[in-house]
Amino acid sequence: MSLNTSLSIAVQSLLANNGALQATNNNIANANTPGYSRQAIIFQTATPTDTGTVSLGNGVVLQGFQSVRSELLQMQIQQQTQDQAGANAQLSSLQQIQPVFTTSTQDIGTQMSALFSSLSTLSTDPTNSSARQAVLTAGQNLATAFNSVAGSLTTIQNGLNTQVTQDVGEINQLTQQIAALNPEIAKLKAEGQDGGTLRDQQEQLVLSLSKLTTITITHTENGDTLTTGNGTPLVLGTKSLPLQTTIGSNGMTHVLDYHGGDITNTLTGGDLGGTVQMRDTTIPNLLNQLDTLASQFGNAFNAAQSQGFDQNGAAGQNFFTLPSTVAGAAAGISVATTNPAAVAASSDGSAGSNGNLANFTAVQNSLLPAGSTPADAYASLVFQVGNLTAQANAESSATTASLVQLNDQRNSASGVSIDEESANLIRYQQSYEAAARIVSVINTLFGVTMSMGTNAAS
Amino acid sequence: MRVTTMVPDIQYGIQQSEQALNTALQQLTTSKRVNQLSDDPAASASMVLSLNASARVDRYTSNASAVNSRMQTADTALNSVVTSLTQAITLGTEGANGTLSIANRQAIAAQLQGVLGNVIAQANVSYQGTYLFGGSSTTTPPFIQAATTVTSSRGTVASPLALTTALTTGSTTTIQDAATGQSLVFHAAAGDTIGTLQTAIASAVTAGTLSAGTTASINANGNLSIGPNTASTGLVATSNEPALGAMNAGPGTEIAGQYLYTGNSTVNSVQVGDTTNVKINIPGNQLFTQGANVIGTLQNLINTLQNGTTTTIGAAASALNAAVDYVDQQRAPLGSTMNQLNSQENYLSQESLSLKTQQSSLVGVDISKAATDLSQAEVIHSATLAAAAKILPQTLLDFLR
Repeated sequence: MSLNTSLSIAVQSLLANNGALQATNNNIANANTPGYSRQAIIFQTATPTDTGTVSLGNGVVLQGFQSVRSELLQMQIQQQTQDQAGANAQLSSLQQIQPVFTTSTQDIGTQMSALFSSLSTLSTDPTNSSARQAVLTAGQNLATAFNSVAGSLTTIQNGLNTQVTQDVGEINQLTQQIAALNPEIAKLKAEGQDGGTLRDQQEQLVLSLSKLTTITITHTENGDTLTTGNGTPLVLGTKSLPLQTTIGSNGMTHVLDYHGGDITNTLTGGDLGGTVQMRDTTIPNLLNQLDTLASQFGNAFNAAQSQGFDQNGAAGQNFFTLPSTVAGAAAGISVATTNPAAVAASSDGSAGSNGNLANFTAVQNSLLPAGSTPADAYASLVFQVGNLTAQANAESSATTASLVQLNDQRNSASGVSIDEESANLIRYQQSYEAAARIVSVINTLFGVTMSMGTNAAS
Repeated sequence: MRVTTMVPDIQYGIQQSEQALNTALQQLTTSKRVNQLSDDPAASASMVLSLNASARVDRYTSNASAVNSRMQTADTALNSVVTSLTQAITLGTEGANGTLSIANRQAIAAQLQGVLGNVIAQANVSYQGTYLFGGSSTTTPPFIQAATTVTSSRGTVASPLALTTALTTGSTTTIQDAATGQSLVFHAAAGDTIGTLQTAIASAVTAGTLSAGTTASINANGNLSIGPNTASTGLVATSNEPALGAMNAGPGTEIAGQYLYTGNSTVNSVQVGDTTNVKINIPGNQLFTQGANVIGTLQNLINTLQNGTTTTIGAAASALNAAVDYVDQQRAPLGSTMNQLNSQENYLSQESLSLKTQQSSLVGVDISKAATDLSQAEVIHSATLAAAAKILPQTLLDFLR
């Protein structure tokens, strides 16, 4: 129990409060840093000194800083980020697909009606060569509409294919950075320190990874282990296991795991999952329906053509040229002739007969082999595209809203409040000032104590 | 809950209110509720079908009006046929009068030739280049005056046709014989020449399709000439063979008053409703050479005036009464079809209107509601911005002075 003890308590207090000021300063500095978790200051009372019957406090000890984080919230944010990125990837390509199916003067539905209209006009005057030419033109327009829709879908599909390679590149870069952080965090942990800022960095990288694909995280002694949603390892301790890409037989990029197994079909979530889903499922499905429609419509038309006679009395030849397979029919359909006389309007071989045109117009109301009329089949495509877009849009909005909520919750625990830090700043400033005051008081007391002897001597 | 920063929430709020404002503005400026498929996928799909139905209605409407004008032309033609026949009855009755001299009867017969010419002109009436009474043979006049000799229009003295001249595969040449009432239809096959046609004509004579003595040869002008037969009875030929060109009567060989029908019996139908088809033509043979046989009766009257007695002239004239009745009877379906077309046009315009209404309710927007939505979105947006402006700049530091 001496002035020295008091002085050391005051000095400790100065140090502790200085440390607290530093932490506050750091918190304020990082208030806008993405992924930063605020650091709480851990003060502890020093072990008291027992002197006989009196136990006296020994001041304060700054134990350290602890980043305030919630693992559960972080995980939920990662999940929602995956869903959001997946929905956004689908939404952005669907928004490109949507306009080609939107009713305009160029879309398949309108061109299909225009073809039937031209045939109907021809029925009132079967020898009119301009009416015949109109049928050919309408047929060409329809074929062009099919070609351009199929072309747009394929172009979008190829764009998505490039995206897959890019995404895989980004994933590999991120897993490498995450793996590099693992040993450093483990080292700090071994020293009994909170990994704080390094963990923040790693979590931020994992979040970026979540934007690309679904991942599962396991915390281990040697740092985080990351796998894709289906269990392909990406990071094991200090090692990152890069994904690879290869061009498949269909010309599409396939994703391989680190030992060469094809995992393309098992990828879900994130930009990569959404992109693969669009590229390998949604667009091929739409293309397939479009091909079926083009092929069956074309064949029905050719069948009608073969039942009649052209303007010169010869048996009707194919109106549409179709590829030999259903696949690619929409991209490959074209009008077989440029001769207006080739339209087989006649049912008896005479030029003026319109009897066979009924077989053409019947196509619009009869069921194609796929089970619906041409207009219904097209309307169903329109509905599907609209519905897929609406769904992706709804999911994107919902995940965005839920991310705002989750981030609010995360910020509630880990975020920096400038007001709070300002108040803390005043608090630690005052404590520091008070401690400094004590040092000065003790200094005076020392002086008084020292001068006691001098006075007696004089 | 510990609130640290309101910035993300305010940003999200501004984003949402801006989106609402944009949607409201878009709906009002385009006056459409559905601007892209995803706005309402079901309505977009229904729109495809509704527009399809609209296009169909438009097409039926234009068909109905095209058919209607065509039918009016046909009806007018038949009306003048009736007028001509009535005139013929008057002339015939006059000719049956026993006090008339042979010369008077010849004069009346000559007048009747004129009437017959009028009837034929009406039977050959065309509408926008299409012959109305030829069945589906609409590019050539259905009634052609028979001649003892018919010649091709191709071939000149300088470059005459030859028996070796090749014919176009698939072309058709038809030769009708008034005496036998039959016709030879020759379809050119690959490798056929005019010589093949000549052989076919010879075989047809043997078979009795064509009258005895009918031959085909290249004449001095370098044309292909068919006929005359032994009895010098009438022939009519039609051909779409480019090497021959149109087959016309040889100069001066036409037979007065004798016309042959070169059309067919095909009736074309046009769709003017999903389940409504109307017949748009009456074949000329049904109108003029079958049933009461208008042309035959008229020819018979002319013949009896030239060669007959008052009794046969009277009988021939009264036979025309039946012909008039017959034409009127045949005209009746035309009238009823025109009525049907008129009511169909009314129905279609109703249908078109109701489809338009359906379309505007599918994708259209209620303007007053859109305007209200817009001003509401405006209020919300400015409230959000005002709130943001009030809250964002405030920190504790402002008060620590």
